[in-house]
Amino acid sequence: MSLYIWMVIMLLASVLWLIWFLYNPLKIDALDLEKSNIELGRQKQAELEQDLQDGLIDQSVFAQAKDEIAQVLAVEIGQTTTYPQQQKSPTIGLILLVAAFFLIAPLATYQLLTSNENAPVAAEKTPTLTQRIADINQRLAQTPNDAKAWRLLGFALFESNKIDESLQAYQRSYQLDAKNAQMLTEYASTLAISQNNQFTGRVSTLVREALEIDKNLPDALYLAGWVAINAQQFELAQKLWKKAILLSKNKADKAVLQQILGELLQLQNAKTPKPTDAKKSLTAHQVTIKVALPQRLLKPEFEEHYLLIYIKAAQGRPMPIAIQKIRLKDFSGVVVLTDDDSIIPSRKLSQTSSVIAVARLSKSGSAMRQASDIEALSPVINVADNPIVNLELK
Amino acid sequence: MLPEIGHFALIIALIAAILQAILPSIGLIVKAKMQGSFALTQLSRPLLWMQFFWLLVAFALLMNAFVVDDFSVKYVANNSNTNLPNVFKMSAVWGAHEGSLLLWSLILALWSVAVSVFSKRLPTQVVNHILIILGLISVGFLLFLLLTSNPFERLDIAPLQGRELNPLLQDFGLIIHPPMLYMGYVGMAVPFAFVLSSLLRGQLDSTWLRWSRPWTLVAWAFLTFGITLGSWWAYYELGWGGWWFWDPVENASFMPWLVATALVHSLSVSEKRGAFKHWTVLLAITGFSLSLLGTFLVRSGILTSVHSFAADPERGLFILIFLTIVVGGSLGLYAWRANLMRSNNKFALLSRESALLVNNILLVAAMLSVFIGTLYPLLLDSLNLGKISVGAPYFNAVFVPIMIPATIAMAIGGYLRWKKDQAGRVVDAMIHITFVVATITLIAYLSIENIYVILAIFLAAWIVLHSLLLLAQRLRQKGKISTSFIGMIVAHIGIAVFLFGATITTQYGVEKDIKMKVNETVEIKGNSFIFRGVERFSGANYTGNKGAIEVLRGKQKIAILKPEKRQYATGMPMTEAAINPSLLRDIYVALGEPLGDGAWSLRLYYKPLVRWIWLGGLLIAIGALLAAFDKRYRRKRRT
Repeated sequence: MSLYIWMVIMLLASVLWLIWFLYNPLKIDALDLEKSNIELGRQKQAELEQDLQDGLIDQSVFAQAKDEIAQVLAVEIGQTTTYPQQQKSPTIGLILLVAAFFLIAPLATYQLLTSNENAPVAAEKTPTLTQRIADINQRLAQTPNDAKAWRLLGFALFESNKIDESLQAYQRSYQLDAKNAQMLTEYASTLAISQNNQFTGRVSTLVREALEIDKNLPDALYLAGWVAINAQQFELAQKLWKKAILLSKNKADKAVLQQILGELLQLQNAKTPKPTDAKKSLTAHQVTIKVALPQRLLKPEFEEHYLLIYIKAAQGRPMPIAIQKIRLKDFSGVVVLTDDDSIIPSRKLSQTSSVIAVARLSKSGSAMRQASDIEALSPVINVADNPIVNLELK
Repeated sequence: MLPEIGHFALIIALIAAILQAILPSIGLIVKAKMQGSFALTQLSRPLLWMQFFWLLVAFALLMNAFVVDDFSVKYVANNSNTNLPNVFKMSAVWGAHEGSLLLWSLILALWSVAVSVFSKRLPTQVVNHILIILGLISVGFLLFLLLTSNPFERLDIAPLQGRELNPLLQDFGLIIHPPMLYMGYVGMAVPFAFVLSSLLRGQLDSTWLRWSRPWTLVAWAFLTFGITLGSWWAYYELGWGGWWFWDPVENASFMPWLVATALVHSLSVSEKRGAFKHWTVLLAITGFSLSLLGTFLVRSGILTSVHSFAADPERGLFILIFLTIVVGGSLGLYAWRANLMRSNNKFALLSRESALLVNNILLVAAMLSVFIGTLYPLLLDSLNLGKISVGAPYFNAVFVPIMIPATIAMAIGGYLRWKKDQAGRVVDAMIHITFVVATITLIAYLSIENIYVILAIFLAAWIVLHSLLLLAQRLRQKGKISTSFIGMIVAHIGIAVFLFGATITTQYGVEKDIKMKVNETVEIKGNSFIFRGVERFSGANYTGNKGAIEVLRGKQKIAILKPEKRQYATGMPMTEAAINPSLLRDIYVALGEPLGDGAWSLRLYYKPLVRWIWLGGLLIAIGALLAAFDKRYRRKRRT
């Protein structure tokens, strides 16, 4: 039975209970306040006499105490007010009003309280990506039409560098609910990465759809800027990014946007608005990585293995910022990572500072580290120094 | 889906509470002018029962989420895991903020249901007024729960395993201490509701005074029992061997207790003699306001304590606003109705009323001393005027001297007559027993050097002997002895037992923090502690080291104590003390850290009469319950 059926049952039970007692009010006691106070006055008189017998009050003040009890009772009787007495049942209008309120108020409150729960709430102890993917898959096995879960799966797979699988998950989420602007933005971004940062074709369609739903979504405005760059509409890109900066609540996002906007303005001022060069000219830094291989890895059995050479942040998410994946047989000994190798357009290699260079030899070529992989890590380096890093796979 | 049903049940409970406050009020305001006004006034009870039912459903569903390890519920994921024994999974429901607040709301509804069911001697319309006030309080707490502390909040991605429940809370003490304490805290809402409904009706009459007293006594009994349990739990669970730390959160429960103590005494005067009405009203308002203040201190995050929940300024702000509305509103109502509380009942300086007034003033002064000691450092800190620490030295210097005359007055009060007494008669009645007490104190003075112990002997003897003499006199008169009177005697003796136990254990307790090697022996008060070593062990959700300390008295083996140092799965360490208890003394051992070469640090305590502290608390609670079930409060209604 669905949640809403349960809610309706709960509400109906409550409303029936209420209507029953409106038609059949609980009987009022014969004892009213005046009688109660009179009875208590008598009891106090009796207790006073008992106190006298027990020696708890002196004979000389007994009469005075007795008078006081009588005086108090007289005042209390004077204060007594009247209350509604049993009469006809409430009108049908009143009953309907109460019932309608009881039916609507809980549902409206529930709607109000749960409408703010769209943003994922992170557990204090963040599970690993693999765990998260497993959890979402488990959830999807029970509710395969959960568009939100498909979107979360797409995001988790993207984080795991499984771009193709991520696109499939986003596609499924899109089929189930094409009206989620945030999902459309993520889908467009992932699609653009899969087509070497080309913001054309379906990517631009998705971005347009996202903006049709929410014209003020900063992420969608940011992507729309890149779509405009691809279409050589630099003025439009400038407008879109300025709006994104205004609307963005995230300081880091704002900083990135301001940086690329600044570079775009510089390019325009220098009157070199060659659109295809615009993105490239943002590339300012590179990291050169030399990898030394021991003799045993030069044997033919390793030729088909993959060498993943990448840069990741020194702290934070382990996902690569820029990466090259090469068959060992094709490896020359040196790799130069630039912004063109960046995985996410919004997170260029040049925009990072403290990073670690990693070389990993993998039989499967999977982005996720396997137990049999051989890995070498550099110390923390600064991208702005255009460093040359020497790594040795042991 | 079950957590969503639980959440929805809470919302229905909130709507029921809102209607419980509004519909009967409409009925009472419009009276006969509207058809159906009677039915509206009579809805307070059905709506309350409905509210209670849905709260019970929500509570059961939250408990179910814990038992079935539903980690998609954030609260469950943060406070339980699959390795937690089932009994602690259930008690973990109130192990953190959200669940404990749900328990709080459930207990408030339970108290309200009790009022609606057991107030058969109260006129129906008076009960309706009281339930309106209790409904308003419920609205405040349910809004707090739903707006800032939803226990059914879901995680988008459920973790495979939950976090660890605070190991301190994985104990029998957690199962009973918070519910008992909440029964006391929330119970203070009942006398508050009685007072407010009387102020609203404009009838501060005998009915209010007579019938609010048993409820106050029951709430006070629970508060006493809850605080006593907390002290006992802290003693054996925290591994420090202490029973009271003047922790701000302990103080937060102690302040309403002091006010409730004053209130039960003040009510007895108001009820019998019609005096002290102003005072009684203010005490009832203060008692509940202090309960709310305690809630604010624990849940706002301004305190760091074993009791405090996660810092959350939003929650703090909500309770502060609620507290302001409750205190401001009730004091405003008090000012409006002040003219109704005039009393012409006079009493002499030497009378039982005067003794009870002195007792009340001293209790309130004691409460204020705790209030200042608790809030002053917080105030300084919040104003950036520096950090100061107010601890035991302050409270011992300020609180204890106020309580000494209060204890002396407590015994005298029982001998005084209502309204007026003669000094000569009182002296005659007390002289013999005073002589005996003086003799006992003199003997103590000659044989004991410790002034605090001499003082404790004097006060304990003073209370116990006077109480017993009072009982003997009543028996000799062959008058009726009420349960209320026996309750008073038991509670007063409880104070003496507590006072004596606390002083003796503080003054004569021995504490040694030492390094011990295997088979090394340490002597404490004629007991030999032989360290037999440490072994690794594992429990359901922890591993750790278990020490073995053999305790001998002469050549007779008393016990082998096995203190533990646990390491829970999440890495949280925990000390489990080992205790050999008896009514006369406790032997207490806690395992510290390894110090190399097979040596360990150990804490060895010898605690004489420490159990008397909790025995005293228990006697006070029993005394209060006996008084609450006095025949006067069970008298059948005449029809």
